[in-house]
Amino acid sequence: MLEWKHEVAKRLEGTNLRAEREAEIIEEISSHVQNRYDQLRAEGATDEEACREVAAELDSSDLQVEVRDSENTVIQDPVPAGAATTGRWISDFLQDLRYAGRILRKSPGFTAVAALTLALGIGANTAVFTIIDTLLLNPLPVEKISELVALNTTQAKMTTQSGELRLLSFLNVKDFRERTHSFSSLAAHSNPMAITMTDAAEPHRIFVEVVTANYFDVLGIRPFMGRFFLSSEDSTPGTGAVVVLGYTAWQGRFGGSSDILGRTIKLNNTPFTIIGVGPKGFKGLYAVFGPDMWVPSMMAEQILPAQQRNALSDRAIPLFTGVGRLGPGLSLAQARAEMNIVAAALEKEYPDTDQGQSVTLRPLTEAAYGPERQPLLFGGALLMAIVGLVLLIACSNVANLLLSRAAVRRQEIAVRMALGAGRSRLMRQLLTESVLLGLLGGVLGLLFGYVGCRFLWSFRPAEYAQNLADLRINASVFGFAFAVSVLTGLVFGIVPAWRSSRTSVSEVLKEETRTVGRSRGRISLANTLLAGQVAISLVLLVVAALFLRSIQHEYTIDPGFETKHLALFMLYPGQAGYDRARTEQFYKQARDRIGSVPGISSVSWASNLPLWGRKETGVIIEGQELRKKSEAISAVVNTVDFDYFSTLGIPFFEGRDFTQDDRDVSTPVAIINDTMAAKYWPNQDPLGKRLQPRGKKFLQIVGVVKTINYQTLGETPQACVYIPLRQNYSDSMILYVRTERDPSTILAAVQEEIRGLDPALPTDDMRTGTKVIDQALWWSKIGVGLLGVFGLLALGLASVGLYGIMAYSVNQRRREIGVRMALGAGQAEVSLFIVRQGMTVVFSGIALGVVLAFLLGRALSRFLYGVSASDPLSLGGASLVLLVVAFLACYLPARSASRVDPLVALRGT
Amino acid sequence: MVHTVENEWKKGSAELLILALLENQPRHGYDIAGLIETRSQGTLHFHVASLYPLLYRLEKCGWIQGRWVEKPEQRRRRYYRLTAEGQRVLVSQRRKWQEFAGAVSRIAGVENA
Repeated sequence: MLEWKHEVAKRLEGTNLRAEREAEIIEEISSHVQNRYDQLRAEGATDEEACREVAAELDSSDLQVEVRDSENTVIQDPVPAGAATTGRWISDFLQDLRYAGRILRKSPGFTAVAALTLALGIGANTAVFTIIDTLLLNPLPVEKISELVALNTTQAKMTTQSGELRLLSFLNVKDFRERTHSFSSLAAHSNPMAITMTDAAEPHRIFVEVVTANYFDVLGIRPFMGRFFLSSEDSTPGTGAVVVLGYTAWQGRFGGSSDILGRTIKLNNTPFTIIGVGPKGFKGLYAVFGPDMWVPSMMAEQILPAQQRNALSDRAIPLFTGVGRLGPGLSLAQARAEMNIVAAALEKEYPDTDQGQSVTLRPLTEAAYGPERQPLLFGGALLMAIVGLVLLIACSNVANLLLSRAAVRRQEIAVRMALGAGRSRLMRQLLTESVLLGLLGGVLGLLFGYVGCRFLWSFRPAEYAQNLADLRINASVFGFAFAVSVLTGLVFGIVPAWRSSRTSVSEVLKEETRTVGRSRGRISLANTLLAGQVAISLVLLVVAALFLRSIQHEYTIDPGFETKHLALFMLYPGQAGYDRARTEQFYKQARDRIGSVPGISSVSWASNLPLWGRKETGVIIEGQELRKKSEAISAVVNTVDFDYFSTLGIPFFEGRDFTQDDRDVSTPVAIINDTMAAKYWPNQDPLGKRLQPRGKKFLQIVGVVKTINYQTLGETPQACVYIPLRQNYSDSMILYVRTERDPSTILAAVQEEIRGLDPALPTDDMRTGTKVIDQALWWSKIGVGLLGVFGLLALGLASVGLYGIMAYSVNQRRREIGVRMALGAGQAEVSLFIVRQGMTVVFSGIALGVVLAFLLGRALSRFLYGVSASDPLSLGGASLVLLVVAFLACYLPARSASRVDPLVALRGT
Repeated sequence: MVHTVENEWKKGSAELLILALLENQPRHGYDIAGLIETRSQGTLHFHVASLYPLLYRLEKCGWIQGRWVEKPEQRRRRYYRLTAEGQRVLVSQRRKWQEFAGAVSRIAGVENA
């Protein structure tokens, strides 16, 4: 029969039929011919006669011409009856799925390697997508977020601080609410504020937001338990001491206890009744950081620090961000226009407080990020692009694996075609296989992604863990992982499937099993994929190296103050119900007692945390009075006690420190930094000159100190005014402790002293100077960690791919290598030959990668600190690492090739 | 291939023969070839090299449709059945053939008589 197939195939040569059609015709005709032969034999013909007769019949017309003509017949009926129907599709699909499952089970090694490779790629993508989904795509679980608008003010006519968003005062919120028609409802919320919560005598530092009673209604969210605020609870100042817990705080701080409703807790020493628990996943309107609980606005006085006690009656005290839901059919632009008119009217009515203030409306989705929006968006896009590239490498690896398997499966595929499998049907089958593989990788990848996210999120600062957004693995993450898996399966499967289904049946069936020299095209396709992988890995490694170098530089930034021997304790005596006299006494006692603890060299108080300085505008300098509002001076203002500068190690340029004698009754004084001195008193002695921070008296400058970093590491020098604690009462301060040794060893002793003074003061909010720097660089560190992990992942995948393809190509060319060795090539020569071939691909990949990395680095340069995009160490280092790994991946197969026994290779066994 | 009168006739009538043989039941190629030979008592031969191209042409036209059928302990075979379109074609060709054959025999019969 095979013989007849051969005869028929020979006569059909040159018909240029599609392979599967050709196979079908060969089968049908050869079957006929075989029957005819059998019949002739049965009638008594000899083998020779029968063969001659049958051959003559085969040649009675020109089979090739006839078949070609008939195949080119114009189809008269465009839709042959019984063509593909849905039913057939489904049954075919199920059949394909079963077959694919069988094939994958049959080669567990291949399946495991491929699925694992894909899982790494898909896992990386899922992890990054989860972060992006949580922080960027779907940050707030509120109803119809597109209708929600955030309301702030800007000091419109000021150029120095233009665009800086400010909070609204309570009275302004009230007026806006009464005079606007653009919003169907308008609520307001404060920023999260640190307060003291006392539950069962244990004081804790927590974050609370003061909100208007309709806050939750405007957002359209429902309580998880209990209820939200009633308008009656938010109508008279000081009444309605009720509080709504956030879900996380309820779980974390109250153990998720079910009888929490009705319980009383003390917030800043005022008893509040818990009336409800917010929905799961809702942590206020900032995407990244949120409060533990909410209290109604009428309780603001009980919650706010002393300076803001009049927030409900003083239009000058900023406290709220408005949040409004646009009325039906109204656009943001319309609302903006109306609010501008209202703001202009308020400006006229209350010129003292509202002059120069214009109102700013932003979509809530935009407001949810605050100033971190740009870096977040950028970081998200960069990470997504990077894991996309990692996935591409994984895909090309698996595509290469499939290509080498396709070579092995040529016979199988040819037989399937000969048995009547159509080309599209065959492609569908092969794609089902790769998509199934993709899904397998997807399931594993989802697992990897989940573990990766948990791992990543475990690095968030423990102090704020409850207030930072929770990563949510939700339906969209599953959807994403599924879509990526299917897409991945199609991407890596399509080329091998297309190639395989082009198999020419007659050729393969005629061909011997040995496939020498047949895979040249395959190898070159694989090489192209490989060079691409090398280039992408290099790009990722370089980017990771650049950011690593950048963060290294950031760590060497001198913030200008002592960090290694510094400990900070945030203390809020006002929140424990202290009056001014008692607070001042506490400050003095704490200094004295802690200062005498062994190992502590000095102690002081300050209102600002390092690197968390707040800028204030409206500083007036005597003799340089403003001609225009636009010339308003802004500076960081910090209230400090004496010895602050020696505790932090900030040197004096001239003048003196504050002393115990700088009191209420003495001349108001201030110390400024050299940046301010140089800017406003150039070529003059600033000592004895006077300035006036907003809302304060004129202060006489008594000292000039060195400029340090106030808001961020490595910032451009900023003006700063220090004012003495004894002339500027504040009921919450930060205790700065300078130690002789590692500060972590004295933390407990300091806490003990504070508890000795008053056990009702929470002392759990403390940190060391090094920690402050760590926190300032937290995002960068996470970013560098991720980039590093993904860079290494890419390198690993690419080198596995390189090794695989080299090993395969060596195996394919054993005969050639055998011939070379038989003709006298030594082992070293053969190794060199193979390595050279592999490294040519690697070098072309590296060349491409260096160019791409350089271009990408240029685009990223504004996010790099102290490193240029063409940093030779990063480019060179990454290339070197890649070269070494790639060399190994080439050398190992080359070494095994050079050990080929020429005899064995030539025999072809 | 020799261009004899017989060959030309065969070609002209071949489509009709095949459609007619498939009218009542699906058949495979070898079966069709055998039936043509036995029913014509050896007068008509359809060799493999012309039978299959014809079958493929009829299939392309949508008059017949082939389908692989597997039976136990046999090689699978491609069975052809008449489509609805093929049925219409058969009816019309049969009528034309009768008209043609009648005309030929009337003329040839008269001449020979």
